[in-house]
This record gives sequence, C-alpha cells and structure tokens, in this order.
Amino acid sequence: MKFLMMGKKWRLFLIALALSCAQAGSALAQQIRVVATWPALADITRQIGKELVNVESLATGVEDAHGVPMKPSFIPRLNRADVLVLIGLDDELSWLPALLEVASNPKILSGQPGYIDSSVGIPVAEPPTRLDRAEGDLHPKGNPHYLLDPVYTKITAQNIAHGLSRSFPQHQAVFEKNLKVYIAELDGWIVKWEKMAVPLRGVKFVEYHQEWVYFANRFGLKRIGAVEVKPGIEPTPNHIVSLVQQIKQDKAQVILYGAQNPRVPQQISNETGIKALRLYSSSGGRPETDSYIKWIDYTLRTLVQAVSQS
Amino acid sequence: MNLIRKGIFCYAICCAWLLSVPQVSHAQLSEMQALKALVENMQQTLQKALSRIDQLEKEKAANAVKIEQEKMATTARLGDVEKSVQAVKSAAGALNPGIGMVLDASIDQRARKGGNFNFRSAEIGLAASVDPFARMYGFINGTPEGVEVDEAAAITTSLPWNLTAKGGRFLADFGRLPKIHAHELPFVNSPLSVERMVGGETQADGVEVNYLFPTPFFLRATVGGYNKMGEGNDRVDNTKPRSWSRFTYLGRLNTYFDITDNHSIEVGTSHAYTPSVRLLSDISGGNRILNGIDVTYRYQPLDSVVYQGLIFGSEIFRNSERIGFDDRSNRRHSYGGYSYAELKLNKNWSTGFLFDYAPSIESPGKKTIGYSPFLTWNLSEFNRLRFQFTHMDDRVREDKAESGNQFFLQWTTVIGAHTHGFLSR
Repeated sequence: MKFLMMGKKWRLFLIALALSCAQAGSALAQQIRVVATWPALADITRQIGKELVNVESLATGVEDAHGVPMKPSFIPRLNRADVLVLIGLDDELSWLPALLEVASNPKILSGQPGYIDSSVGIPVAEPPTRLDRAEGDLHPKGNPHYLLDPVYTKITAQNIAHGLSRSFPQHQAVFEKNLKVYIAELDGWIVKWEKMAVPLRGVKFVEYHQEWVYFANRFGLKRIGAVEVKPGIEPTPNHIVSLVQQIKQDKAQVILYGAQNPRVPQQISNETGIKALRLYSSSGGRPETDSYIKWIDYTLRTLVQAVSQS
Repeated sequence: MNLIRKGIFCYAICCAWLLSVPQVSHAQLSEMQALKALVENMQQTLQKALSRIDQLEKEKAANAVKIEQEKMATTARLGDVEKSVQAVKSAAGALNPGIGMVLDASIDQRARKGGNFNFRSAEIGLAASVDPFARMYGFINGTPEGVEVDEAAAITTSLPWNLTAKGGRFLADFGRLPKIHAHELPFVNSPLSVERMVGGETQADGVEVNYLFPTPFFLRATVGGYNKMGEGNDRVDNTKPRSWSRFTYLGRLNTYFDITDNHSIEVGTSHAYTPSVRLLSDISGGNRILNGIDVTYRYQPLDSVVYQGLIFGSEIFRNSERIGFDDRSNRRHSYGGYSYAELKLNKNWSTGFLFDYAPSIESPGKKTIGYSPFLTWNLSEFNRLRFQFTHMDDRVREDKAESGNQFFLQWTTVIGAHTHGFLSR
C-alpha cells in the first residue's frame, strides 16, 4: 500500500534498484566460486578464470605454512565453493583436512573434479630418502614450496586451468586462452628475473625452515644451512653456535626467515654481520606483493639489493 | 656465423689487393695511407667480431650443457619420486588405514594419596575412508583399568543439504573440552567439574546428525540420540535394551566470529535431555537435564601464530535431576564449570592457569574448588612435557581425598598418523 502511495519517481527508482541488485546477484551467482588455500594460488586462478571466477584465499600470506589457524570462519567459504585449489604435497595437512571434514561439500573432496592439486607434475625437490620422524617434521611427498620457482608456476597454472576445465568444460576455451596469455606474461618476466638475479649466482645463504630450495635452484643461490635443527625442530644453543661458525667460514651473505620468530635470525645477524631478511613464502604477505608476479619480483629485488649492500 | 666470417674475409682480401696496386702519384700515396689506416681499423673490428663469435659459441655450448644437466636432474628427481610412488602403490598394506599411537604417562604426587608413576593411557588410532560415501575412525585405549574401544564411528561424507551423520561409539558433541581426549587437553587432568557433571569424556553409543547452516558465518547444529552420555556416567547400562524414554537426546548450537584477523570468539550451547533416569534402586525415575554454555576467545596473530597467542576458555554446566528416593517435586540443581587461560611464550613453551568449580551432584551445596597453574614444553609437535601444580579445596568427600596440593609431570608422545579432527582444535 505504501509502495502504491509513493511518488512515481521514487517507485521507478526502487524498481531500478531492485532490478540492478537482482542482476548483480545473478552475475555473482553465475561466477565460479573458487577457494584457494594461499593468495599466490588465488592470484594465478584469477588470471586464468578472469571474470568467470570469484576467488577467495583462506590464508593471507603472512602465516607459517605449518601454522595456519584452523578457523571455523573458513568453513562457510569451503561449503559454498565450486572448486578448491591447494598447494598439495601435504602442505595444508595440519589444517585443511579437518576443515573439509565439517564443510559438508563433497564437490571439493580429494578425488573429486572440484579438488585441484596444483602440485601435479611438479619435479618435486627433496623427496625424503628416509621416512622417519627422527628426521623432523618431514614432508613425505617432498618439499611443497615450489611456487618460489616461477618456471614451475607454469605447471601450476596449467593444473589450475585443467582443473577448472574439468569442472566447467563449457569454459575450457576461455581458460586455455587465458592460460596461454598468463604463461606468455610469466615467460617475459622469467627472462627479466634471470637477468636481475645474475648477482645472486653463487650467493651463500641460510634459511630458517627448508622452503627456499626451488628459488635457490632456479636463481643459483647456495644454501649452507638452516636455523632449524631439522624441519620443524627449533634450534638448540649448540646448533646456533655451529651455524654461526659455518656462516663465518662460508661467508654466507643472507639469512632468510618468514613467519618464524625473528629472535634467532637477529641474534645470528648480530653475531656474524649476515643480513637477516624477512621474506614470506607466499604472495600477500606485504601490500606490495598482492600478486604472484609482484611477489617474485619483490623477493628478487629485495635479495639483490641486500646482497649488493653486504 | 660462417657467412659473416666469409664476408669479412672477402672484404679483407679486397682491401689487401687495393694496397698492392703500384702507386704513381702523391695523391695516390696519401690515399694509400688512408686506405692502410682503414684496413688496420677493419682488422681490429674483424678481430673483435671473431672474439665475440667465439664467446657466443662458448655461451651457447654452456647453455646447452646447463639445459641438458637440468633435464637430467629433473629426470632423476622424477625417477626418484616415481620409484617412491611405485613402492607405495605396490606395498601390500597400501589400503590400510592411517595408524597412530599416543602414550600418556605422568608422575603424580597428591597430598592425601602420595606418589605414583601413572600410566594414564596408550591410545591406538585408526582412520581411513570406507568408500566414496563414508569414512571411519577408531581409538582403542589401554589404561590401568583395562583395554576398551574409546571411539569407533562411521561418518558420512556425501550427504546432501549440508548434513553429516555419525554412528557408533564416539564423543558426543556436548560442550568443548568434554569431547576432547584427555591427552589433547591444555592441562594435565580433565577439570573435576567435567568429571562430576558430564561424567568425563562425553563417550556415547548412538547416532548424531550435524547441520551446517548456509550462513556467511559459521553456525552448526547437532542433534543426537545415545544410550547415555559420559564415560563415567553409570546411570545406564550400555548393554541392556530399554525404553526409548531412557535414552539421552542432545541438541547443540555452535557459532564462531572473527573479531579481527587476529582475534576470534566461539560460543556454543548444549542441551542433553534424558526423559527418564531409572537407577536400580529407583523404580519411578525422573528426567535429567544437563545444560552447558561454552565460550572461547582466541588471540592468534597470523604472522606469528606459531610462537605467540592466547586462548581463554570457559564452560558453565547446569545439572538438574532427582536423586534416589527424592520426591518427584524435589529436584537437585547443581552449577559448575571451569575457566582457563593459556599463553604461548614461544614455539615450544606455553603457560596457563585453570580454575575449576565442581559441585556435588547429590549435594549441590558442597563443592570442590581447584587452582592449577601449568607449564607446557612442546619439544616437537609430537613430544610434550607438562608440569602442573594443583591446589584443591575439597568439601565434597568426607575423607577430603582430593584436598591439598598436587604435583604432576606429564609426558605425552605420539607416533604415526594421529588426529582428532576439527572438534578437538
């Protein structure tokens, strides 16, 4: 009744508003809902899906891969997702399977078309030769930090494109076209990064946790040790003493840490003069690394700058 | 490359031929000198070009070697991985469930009882998918009292409408800590309030259905029906069939909000109703109502969550029932609960404090109050030492058995695959 009593202009305005809301809602509803575990994967998925996908990342990029909080607020997002994109190689083992247990979404369970494991076909580094927890908190399937090698990211992008096509074959041509464009863009950047990384060749470094192997292999850095005694095992005083000696002996130039406690890297830096750098192993950890390409570019530039100053 | 070389060579021959022509005039002489200078210049350029060609050829060869080495390394790595995969696939037990074991032991010293090397439990866990529609898990627990199936339940994985169903023996979805195994608790012992009011762990034989609301925030409901709820609840004999009015029925609502990226709050409310509790000596029976509210606040700074954080948890229970030969109108209402806070000091160390308020169900006016500071050292994710001091003020038991100071040094270790899933987070 009130509606009928309104002025003509107001009625037209409200009808237009309702129609535009409905249109926006239906456009959103038509988009493929993708949940990625990490921002780097979310960005790559956006490059391939473009306007066809609506992508959310669960982690923000600042978290330790082994310490992503198991937040119940992730569950509604997983429940609504058409597709789940994950790093794989048990990278998300400590938090994702338990969330999937209660997300009530069979579409994105392992083995289903909506479950995209980005690691398929990656030449995995450091597959353990001895599966025993005496070796620390091992990744039985090998090192999962392969996104730090932009060449392997082309494989990841292919996996995502194929995974999206598996669930939504009607958009396969678009995904394949966008994949080609993204890979061409990556190739362009890889040439630039190879040139940029020339000063890093042969540079000796120490890492907190074993997560830089792919980056080091690609750009020619040499890892001489880790702050952790073994993967996931915090350093003992003896280990720190021997690491300090090794850094001095080998003349290592940088110590890399991410979401770990900066106390020990700073302590080692003070004792040896080595440059301690906090660099996250995913995009999104800093405002200037909000895309995969920006993240690798920032990481390389920061490292080159640090090495040139040391 | 060869074409460039030939061109440069012909050009040099021409220049040499020009120089060899006999000179007949002064003008020709100066022209000859200029040409000589030109030839010298050309020779230098030629030399530079040849050097560059050699350098490029060397780089090309080096790159080819590098690419070949990378290919070989990649092939070798793929070969290793392939071998591992084949080894796993061909293993006789490839489809066996994930198996793990937890050992929980402590050294206890209680003011009234004395000391004890306390073998608390050895729990074997098994878990795997049953088929595309269900998964199953089990925990078999050995304690000084014997061995029993602590949990063994099947859970659906593909029901429509956001539903999940569970059946078998499991820890019923009542409260927060009552459904967590003792070795997973943030302190040494289960709070006495949980022991007295819920009956310890909410072990139950029955069925449970969960519904996840399609809301933008987490909201989950549980309904369940069980023989009884609580491992230490002796009101019902699990093995004897009985009227459906003598089962326990549960309803729970659980929600969670991120206050910011780093702060969150989780709230749950649980209601367990048994229409008719009939003890051996009680023919007429009467209903039992057990309610609970749990609140958990978490501070988890995302960029340092592995070495910083704070958790505050609290639960309040209310039990209402007739005891023994009470008059029908005479119900006994008891209120109890606990609160605790735990602060993560770094990746390995954390400390906290537990306050426990445990009334007597039979005599609600009487209560036991406990104060327990504790210190936890996680040597790794699978190896934990915990020291706890507890001061108990026990006004329930005549012998004051729990009163006084108590000390515990607990050692918990895990081998193999071990997880209690989302509910025990």
